[in-house]
Amino acid sequence: MTKKDLIDQRLVREAEQMVMRTHTRRHFLKESAMGLGALAMGSLLGGCGGKTKAAHSVVFDPAHPLLPKAPPFIGKAKSVIFLHMAGAPSQFELFDYKPELAKMDGQDCPPSFLEGKHFAFITGVPKMLGPQATFARHGQSGAWVSEHLPHFSEVVDEVSFLKAVTTDQFNHAPAQLLVHTGSPRLGRPSIGSWVTYGLGTENQNLPGFVVLTSGGSFPDAGKSVWGSGFLPSVYQGVQCRSEGDPVLFIKDPDGMSRDLRKASIEAVNKANMQEYKDYNDPEILSRISQYEMAYRMQITAPDVMNINDEPPYIHEMYGTKPGKACFANNVLLARKLVEKGVRFVQLFDWGWDAHGDNASNALNIGIINKYRSVDKPVTALLLDLKQRGLLDETLVVWAGEFGRTPMMENRNGAQNPFKGRDHHTEAFTIWMAGGGIKKGHTHGETDEIGYTAVSGKVDAFDIQATILNQLGFDHEQFTYPYQGRPFRLTDVGGKVIREIIA
Amino acid sequence: MVFALLVVSGMVACFTSGSKKVDFSTEVKPILNKKCITCHGGVKAKGGFSVLFREDALAKTESGKPAIIPGDPDNSEMIRRLTLKDPEERMPYKHEPLSEDEIGILRKWVKQGAKWGDHWAYLPVKQTPVPDEDNSWVRNDVDHFIYEKLDELDMQPAAQTDPYTLLRRVSLDLIGMYPSAKVADQYLKNSDDKGYERLVDSLLASPHFGEKWTSMWLDLSRYADTKGYESDGGRSIWRYRDWLIDAFNADKPYDVFLTEQIAGDLLPNATDAQYIATAFSRNTMTNDEGGTDNEEFRVAAVMDRVNTTWESLLGTTFSCVQCHSHPYDPFRHDEYYKFMAYFNNTRDNDIPAEYPLIREYNDSMKLQMTQLMEWIRTNGSAEQARQLYQFLRTWQPVVYATTADSLKNAIIINKNVALGMRNHSHVRLKHVKLDDAAQVIWNFYSNKAGGRLTFRSDAPDGPMLASVLIEQKDGWRKVSAEMQPHTGTHDVYVIYENPSLPATSEDILGVFEWFGFIPELPAKGSPEYAARKHTYWDLLNAPVTTTPVMMENPDWLRRETHVFERGNRLTLGKEVEPAVPQSLQFAMPANAPKNRMGLARWLTDKRNPLVSRTMVNRLWEQLFGTGIVETLEDMGTQGMLPTHRELLDHLSWKFMHDYQWSIKKVLKEMVMSATYRQDSRLTEPVKEKDPANKFYARGPRVRLSAEQLRDQNLCISGLMSNKMYGKGVMPWQPDGIWLSPYNAARWHNSTGEDQYRRAVYTYWKRTAPYPSMIAFDGVQRVLCTARRINTNTPLQALTTLNDSAYIDMARHFAFRMQEGAGDLAAQIKKGYQLMLYKPIKEDKLKVFEELYQQALKEFKPNPGKTRAMAGGQGEKATPATAALVAVANAMLNLDEVVTKN
Repeated sequence: MTKKDLIDQRLVREAEQMVMRTHTRRHFLKESAMGLGALAMGSLLGGCGGKTKAAHSVVFDPAHPLLPKAPPFIGKAKSVIFLHMAGAPSQFELFDYKPELAKMDGQDCPPSFLEGKHFAFITGVPKMLGPQATFARHGQSGAWVSEHLPHFSEVVDEVSFLKAVTTDQFNHAPAQLLVHTGSPRLGRPSIGSWVTYGLGTENQNLPGFVVLTSGGSFPDAGKSVWGSGFLPSVYQGVQCRSEGDPVLFIKDPDGMSRDLRKASIEAVNKANMQEYKDYNDPEILSRISQYEMAYRMQITAPDVMNINDEPPYIHEMYGTKPGKACFANNVLLARKLVEKGVRFVQLFDWGWDAHGDNASNALNIGIINKYRSVDKPVTALLLDLKQRGLLDETLVVWAGEFGRTPMMENRNGAQNPFKGRDHHTEAFTIWMAGGGIKKGHTHGETDEIGYTAVSGKVDAFDIQATILNQLGFDHEQFTYPYQGRPFRLTDVGGKVIREIIA
Repeated sequence: MVFALLVVSGMVACFTSGSKKVDFSTEVKPILNKKCITCHGGVKAKGGFSVLFREDALAKTESGKPAIIPGDPDNSEMIRRLTLKDPEERMPYKHEPLSEDEIGILRKWVKQGAKWGDHWAYLPVKQTPVPDEDNSWVRNDVDHFIYEKLDELDMQPAAQTDPYTLLRRVSLDLIGMYPSAKVADQYLKNSDDKGYERLVDSLLASPHFGEKWTSMWLDLSRYADTKGYESDGGRSIWRYRDWLIDAFNADKPYDVFLTEQIAGDLLPNATDAQYIATAFSRNTMTNDEGGTDNEEFRVAAVMDRVNTTWESLLGTTFSCVQCHSHPYDPFRHDEYYKFMAYFNNTRDNDIPAEYPLIREYNDSMKLQMTQLMEWIRTNGSAEQARQLYQFLRTWQPVVYATTADSLKNAIIINKNVALGMRNHSHVRLKHVKLDDAAQVIWNFYSNKAGGRLTFRSDAPDGPMLASVLIEQKDGWRKVSAEMQPHTGTHDVYVIYENPSLPATSEDILGVFEWFGFIPELPAKGSPEYAARKHTYWDLLNAPVTTTPVMMENPDWLRRETHVFERGNRLTLGKEVEPAVPQSLQFAMPANAPKNRMGLARWLTDKRNPLVSRTMVNRLWEQLFGTGIVETLEDMGTQGMLPTHRELLDHLSWKFMHDYQWSIKKVLKEMVMSATYRQDSRLTEPVKEKDPANKFYARGPRVRLSAEQLRDQNLCISGLMSNKMYGKGVMPWQPDGIWLSPYNAARWHNSTGEDQYRRAVYTYWKRTAPYPSMIAFDGVQRVLCTARRINTNTPLQALTTLNDSAYIDMARHFAFRMQEGAGDLAAQIKKGYQLMLYKPIKEDKLKVFEELYQQALKEFKPNPGKTRAMAGGQGEKATPATAALVAVANAMLNLDEVVTKN
């Protein structure tokens, strides 16, 4: 068989799977206890069930905006877990080992690093700051990881490090927006929105794009980093909560049984069907399907969002604290969600902004707690996904929005009271794992003090292009028409980072 | 939306074929924008070639020759490069070649002289004649335009809808809720044309009219009750919301409405209300986060004012010009900063107290103030009176203590909050005008006895201006010291010393917010002086409602404006003066001052091509669900083309000239049209030809806005409070919604009727807005939002099904159904009529009767559930009531209830 035949065959198989999925769904609807599907969905599905869609066109069906759709080509990843350390962790204390920088510790920063540069807080001539950590090589790949991540160092052979990531935004909110929406300004769809727009989601009983936050606050750019921009708002991230209702208003009102809720939704939909016969507006059908979906979500979401039923060894592995809002719980939830077919899970952990202007954000005091809070759960996530056979199809990304300076911050020209680094755009480290990414690989290099990227330079657009590629999209072809021109996530940039693809 | 795009692009194709003279806007510009401008536009000019402006496009490129030679396509490099075979040479580089048709258009255009045309929206509004197409369906001018287009497309308009539907539609549209039973009954009894007009007039005259249209304006002005950013603390700016309600109710002409919001503070003898109007520009965010640079966020706020003015009032996306010339529209990079200069000289400074604030005195204080000012004018100079009056109203102008420098033994707390002084400390206040200053007043707290504050000019040991012992007292207060007469502008040194405390103490002994150098009251030594001074100070300290407003810096505090290279405020380019973009300069009145008042006069000049079109388009969108230009935020070359450009121009002209900017009159014309009154049923032929209702062969059918939905359900359930105005209220919301760092503010459910106020009064926290309104596409109001995009999601269903606030409404709705209605069928019939005015159909009635019976079966054996559903322990907590609540909850979730038919 030629290569082309092979690809054709795979495409056919993919298309068949599509049909299967839809049929399964229809079957599920008909056989499920509530039998709501019989009312309207059956007839609606008739139109979609047997059709295989042309690869490139994303069809937005307002009545079924989240039905699974096949990507243009076969991607290795089915879902994405994006772990964002909001505030931007320091590469110098975790991954980018720079012994030369240690030698310069306490010296004045050479003028060549300052001329023509802009920093958020550094003014005048700051001092250089050596790594606040000791490093060792780990795994067969020999990746450098600091003492701050003892658990993670054991799984470095699962990941690809990108050590020469750059950005052009040195404030948190715009830099976070750039990472997630491809633009430093508000108003563009986030990557999770793009992905659920393009692929739909496997499980119609859960939102396709879920957001979990920890660290006591939303990320600096607020909810816009999971907004849907100009895409229909059904594609915006749904924030799930670890306290109160896991999804707002998911609980039936006091006094209303499940049976009665089912009956009342059936009544609403029956009456709406009468309305549809009168008015002929497809939007009414869409509302009918949204009410059905709401009902199913009510059953599924609280169950998935409950981590209490996980066995003790899993809790031990992740370091979870059931009942509390914390990063470890969110990581475990992320695993449960992708397992249940959620397409895109975004975690934001607030509190990484290591300026050193107070103890809680000092590299050698408060930030140590941040390292501890992520080390175990992130490691557990990779191992757990692997043991469930899910790592191959789940792309895990760990990133901040920019890096930190090799200089110690000197806010307003005075030495900061604690050890800290300013925002830095010219080099930082992120890593990716699973979903068809090379195992135990490092791409990109910085200069000997880690100031600037010297080889393998990549930016947010390249990372977005790579994520889309792993899901089966050519980022240049994946567009949405808005304001008279096709917009894409990667704007006018982006190159798939082939070097880290297995 | 996808459909809409297809239809519009189809129209472009129609325009293209057949015309002899190539039209730049509709034929050439779309090709340039789509195929060329990414590399040869305002952002990039590869090879030294840009097609954004004619002068650039005809200029020499890097090759040394121009790429376009007007009249000579064969020798124009641009045309040649489009047709080459070599992929390295052929343009567009690495993209699909242009089609033969496209190349043909460009060739013809170069041949015809390569003329740049102006985009339609940048040309002044012309009086547009009404098409004479006549038909019995047509009722007013609007319909002539609509009918003409339908006729062209071979479509038929729909007949007028039934009175019930029309009553509900026009009420939700004009007042955002249901009218009183009296008004509704009156119309339903007499629903002929006269009756309809009477209904429309009474809705336009209703005080609820202003509330509805204010809701719309709050998205544009990005109104919120909090400051935004990290800690997102509270702000008192609700008086601006109330100003809007009054302005819409009074039908304040739109030109005055805009003038007061943009430059109310600069009007002669500006009233409190005119100051409050300028809060339009103060709804920007304030960053209280420790360590942030006040100047950085002041600049961010100023830029937001520029962007908001453009997007909301001019329907143009201007923000991209921050960094580079507009990629598509005729705006150059430096023009952004010229425009910014209008807003860049105000007194606000991103400090937590959000000065300047207008202090609104109550009536008795106002009387005191009037009498006091009369006395001051009689006994002192006009200038003295002006300054003292301004200081009473605004505590301005003052030097913010955060701007002090040369700090010795002193700090700026958190780098942006206030000045903290230790023992034997001094700081400098730069360039203070001392000419009229006879006293210095400062706002501070200091609870240590024995401190002395001294003011010296030019140096820490320079000539003494004032010196005073500070009393021991808790809390913030204002103190004044008499000053030695002085002339000119000087650096002022503020020195704090306290001999009773150790010199080496690290303690901060005084915290200062501002210093004001102002005249004294006149007639010192006269018998009345002491009493007058006492009144002055009473007023100055009175706890009054304050609102952040716009206010210009006096000359000695004037701020320069520079171009920011590539949008970076730290890379300053040339200094610029206030100006509007050259391409729209023609609308600037000749004698307009170069300040915000001049800007307001440009905005409201009848030659301004964008302002009336933007507003008329917006009003249309509010009624019909989609604008005549769908992209309300952008009427520029990247926006969508208008579906009915002549109609838009006709109405925009009328708005300015015939109606003298009356919003109510334009709205009346729209809702009186046959177009508006059509039935909204979708027939098969129309479904095929115009699924998105671009051409109005049927009435609007649009999901209610978040505000309309809440307000309607409050009306249906009989809970709606008619109370107007006041601080934001906190209706029920789930716990744990507010999550801002460094902020202890909590949501406290309002009590009594404040639980049931209209949505427009809901307290709006930017980082955590009221969740049930966000579910229905309400916006965060962080930045200006020119258009909401309606969606349909399961989370909306969950909200109206399960949110306790909606259950509460369902419960009261059920009580209302029971009142004197008789048997179950009668109760449901009554309920349906309360929701939709019309009688319920038999098969629908049956659906709800069945639901009731099933519910009743469940509740009968279960008193606990019954109580929970029916609410409380009272006599109403019967299984019958509980079952009816379940039915009411379902009825309020009907598509026809969440939709405006």
